[in-house]
Order: sequence, then structure tokens, then C-alpha cells
Amino acid sequence: MANRRCIQTLAQQLYKSLQHLRTLTYIPNLPKLNPKSHHMFPNANFNSPLIHFTTYRHYSSDQHDNSDVSKDDDSEYDDDDDDVMENNNVASCVVKKEYSPEEQETEAAAIGYKVIGQLQRSDRVFKAYEPVFAVIQIGAHQFKVSNGDCIYTEKLKFCEVNDKLILNKVLMLGSKAQMMIGRSVLPEAAVHAVVEEHALDAKVIIFKKKRRKNYRRTKGHRQELTKLRITDIQGIEKPEMPMPTPAKKVEKAAVTA
Amino acid sequence: MSQRGVWQLQKLIVSYCNWGGSSRGVRAFMESELPSFKEANPQLEVVTELNRGQHPYLKGLYKNKNERVVSVMNMTPEEVQLCATRLRNSLGRKVVKLKTRHVTKHPSVQGTWTTSTQI
Repeated sequence: MANRRCIQTLAQQLYKSLQHLRTLTYIPNLPKLNPKSHHMFPNANFNSPLIHFTTYRHYSSDQHDNSDVSKDDDSEYDDDDDDVMENNNVASCVVKKEYSPEEQETEAAAIGYKVIGQLQRSDRVFKAYEPVFAVIQIGAHQFKVSNGDCIYTEKLKFCEVNDKLILNKVLMLGSKAQMMIGRSVLPEAAVHAVVEEHALDAKVIIFKKKRRKNYRRTKGHRQELTKLRITDIQGIEKPEMPMPTPAKKVEKAAVTA
Repeated sequence: MSQRGVWQLQKLIVSYCNWGGSSRGVRAFMESELPSFKEANPQLEVVTELNRGQHPYLKGLYKNKNERVVSVMNMTPEEVQLCATRLRNSLGRKVVKLKTRHVTKHPSVQGTWTTSTQI
């Protein structure tokens, strides 16, 4: 019986040592059977109270040799978790996603605009005021615009300064005599705009405080804005304006002559 | 930054020190990215100034006689380029909180609503 108990304990120790090599801090005193044992007692006295018959339970309070554990983990799981580790490191840095031209166009179209090209010196885009308005949606904001207006929106990603844009999400068009209401968007309407600037707004200070709790936080924030100047509204009949300058020239010619 | 097609930033002064460590990023920027920045903006007059013993800064002179000074002390060359691009992209207006996001001279097309307006 005693022999069987000894063999059983031996087997238990072996099992445990083989299963949990890394977490084992207590090295069982197994004579020659356990290759990890550092202490070789000359008299393996199994019946002595020195031997602890440890159970298989692992407690969170067990002292782990963290450096060893991590090293072993890294060496073992290197292949699988390499990508994960890299992703984590990359995510902590600033991630600049590279958009392909098609992706740029689809994203821009989703927000509600389309880049045409750079403004050339020869383009006569800035016309006189016309009494026509349009209700436009850019991103999540809607504006009622007319010719020559300026609009500040959230920073538009894929356009530079001096770019011409077509804003295609037009919800309503109106003039003195006529009004066209879209369901929910007017398909044939287009509004032309030019990017004037990409700038930062003034700094707002976000101050958090919980009274009597010794908690106070200050954070500064500057929002990035884009200023658009609306140049043209298409899709509605514009009323004809009488031209004032030719009349003046005719008068001056009559006076001189 | 261009109002009605006219670029507003006239001159960009890059002031640096050739000895100090805070100018390291600006010096690297001047070697690597400043030539391409100059080519991309032919309308802009870019000047480099040696200012020994002082921290580096970028000074932008705008058409409305406004001067914007941005310190680039201890910045990487990429950050310096971002600062320079931001100066080029903005109008020279004073940085104040916006009153409205829609600036217009003709707020009404069909006439402003009053209590006596009939549809």
C-alpha cells in the first residue's frame, strides 16, 4: 500500500511537472525522474513530511516568474501572434490610410461632393449674385446656399485649396418664381463650389471638474475646417437680370459725343 | 488659402539655427522637403534665415498684412512640413471663434418671412 501510494504520488508529480513546466515554481524533489530538479537528495525519503503533495489547483496568487513566462510565451507563440503584435503597435501610432483613387471618389461621393480639378487662372467662375438658392447636404450638415456664399464645413479629405468641387447632394432648389423639392435628393441638380481654405478653428478648452473630489482636467481642441465658396447653382431656371453696366457705358458715350 | 483664386500667403520665412538641437528637424526639412514645397507653390516666396542661438520658427506674411509666427522647436521634418502646409492653406484672418458657418450677403431669395407673409 505504501509502495502504491509512493508510485501514485510520483506519477502525480510527473504529470504535473510535465503539464505545467513554466508555472512551476516549486520543483518537486524527484530523484532522476524529473530532469528539472536541481536538488538531488541522497536519501529520497518519500515518507518524510518535507515532500509536499501539491494539488493541481492554480491560484492567481501563485508567484509567477513573469520574465521567464513572457520570454517563453514569446518564443512559443511568435509565429501566430506576430501580426497581432504588429497591429497593436501600428494602431498606437498615427495610422494614415492610403486611399486609392476609386476609394477616394466613393468616400467623397458618400460625403456629398466630387472634385473636378484645380481652378485655372482663365476660369471665370466668380459670377455676380443670382437670386437662386439651393439646400445642400455635406456630411451631416445642411446649408441653404446661394451664389457667392461662403460655407465652413468639416475638413474635406480629398481636395486641396483652389479645387473646384461639385456638390451633388441637393435637397431643394428655389428661385423667385419656382421651387423644386427633392425626394430626398434632386437627381439633376448640381452646385459648383471652390475650396478657399483649410484652416484650424480657434482653440476651445475642454475643462472637466468634479467638485470636492480632487478631479480637474484641461484639454485643448482645434477643429479642422474647410471654407467653400459657392459659385454656381445648376438645375433650375434662373430669372434674367437686366445688365446695369452696358446702360452706363451707353450714357457716357452719349455724354461725350 | 486663396480668396477668389488669389493666394493669400505672400512670403514664408524659415528661421533656423545651424548649431542648436531644437533646429534639427527644421534643418532636415530644409534639406529633404523644402525644395519640393517650393516647387509645389511657385507663387510663394520662401526665404531661409539663419538665426543663431534662437529657436526655429516659421513666419508667414499674408496679403492682409497679417503675420503668423509658428514655432517649430523640436519638431520632426514631417511635422514642420505640416505646419508649413497649414500656413499656406489658411487665409490671413485672425483666429477667432466663428460666429456662423454660413457667411452670405444675400440671406433671402424669395423675401424674408414676416408675420404678414402669405404663401
